[in-house]
Amino acid sequence: MAIDPRLQEFIVNEQLYLDGTVIVEEGSSGNWVFVVLEGSARIKKKTEKGQITLDVLGEGDIFGEMEFLEGAKRPRTTSLVASGDAWLGILDVDRLVKDYQMVSSKLRILIRSLMAKYKETTAKLCARVAAPSD
Amino acid sequence: MPQVNRNSEAIAKANLLKYKKGEQIIKQGDYGISIYIILKGKVEVFRESEGKEVSLAMLGPGDTIGEMTFLNKRAEVRSASARALEGSELEVWHPSILAKKYEEVPPVLKMMIDQALGRLTKMNSLLDRLNLSLLEAQEKTESKIEKTESRSFYRKAVDVECVYVPAKQGNGFKGTLPGRIKNLSMTGFRMEIPSKNLSFAPHDVGDSLQIDVVLPNQKPLKAKGKVVSLNRENGRILLGLSFLDLPEHYRKTLWFFMLPT
Repeated sequence: MAIDPRLQEFIVNEQLYLDGTVIVEEGSSGNWVFVVLEGSARIKKKTEKGQITLDVLGEGDIFGEMEFLEGAKRPRTTSLVASGDAWLGILDVDRLVKDYQMVSSKLRILIRSLMAKYKETTAKLCARVAAPSD
Repeated sequence: MPQVNRNSEAIAKANLLKYKKGEQIIKQGDYGISIYIILKGKVEVFRESEGKEVSLAMLGPGDTIGEMTFLNKRAEVRSASARALEGSELEVWHPSILAKKYEEVPPVLKMMIDQALGRLTKMNSLLDRLNLSLLEAQEKTESKIEKTESRSFYRKAVDVECVYVPAKQGNGFKGTLPGRIKNLSMTGFRMEIPSKNLSFAPHDVGDSLQIDVVLPNQKPLKAKGKVVSLNRENGRILLGLSFLDLPEHYRKTLWFFMLPT
């Protein structure tokens, strides 16, 4: 799948990450939004039973949208780790912010609510996985 | 970071709904595309799967219900149920207003929303499976709040002519009688009829009538109703009726007609 040209337009920087490199660390600060250009990367989260993989991203997939759309400056809730060598594009956050300001306030309420559910579901999933299984 | 600016669009005609503790707000599998925002109270969203309930989220003021369905492929069937855990107040938004606004969202933001939505859907179904196996393992030791099957529906005021055929016909009468539908809900309707109709057929509580009407949105509705009340005022008769086995496609017609405007 080729990268959508409309997305391509937002890429301000490209970077190669070698297999196993931590691209984004859970708990760190930062508001970059990434798109996978080539290769793949794993979204990971710490649980009491160690790190679990929440999702595997491939070409065209985006990372960092959750923190961005939530709108508040807060630490990263998940890590991103290169799975094999991966090329990532970094999106122009200032432009995204400008775009976001044009979104109607009702839709922003919906988006924020969606992000809250995303966070709650992530937390529940981690709790379930960490729960003693027998 | 994105800021919420205050020059928000004018609030459209608001529809406020109040729910009592335990009352169901939406039901999984129902037709419905309205979006609810919680103004007051506490709401539980849950999925019913193989006869078991899996709690998905506890929501409070500022949270919304139905945004996933809306932001998704605009499906028209609810993917989860929701009930009030305490006395709650919700505002309903008609999705068509928001659909126009959504078209205007810049494409890259739409991609980001889709990404989040896709991942959330994936995680939800994974959680569903994990929860189900957990539920089966522990069975019920829970103290759940009192549940009621009752649901509040909107009642929409209308005033349209209709014709109906009483199930029991007397005095050699065969044919249709005129009436006016005065309001409608998902469960029943009110109909005003001229008092002379009573001389053609009985309209007692428990009797059924077959009605035929074209709703103000030009959709036909044919339904069977059972008389639950009869009041006389000024030479007119006001009947309260509840629907009897409403066919699925008319049910859908009614759902869409009942959407808040």
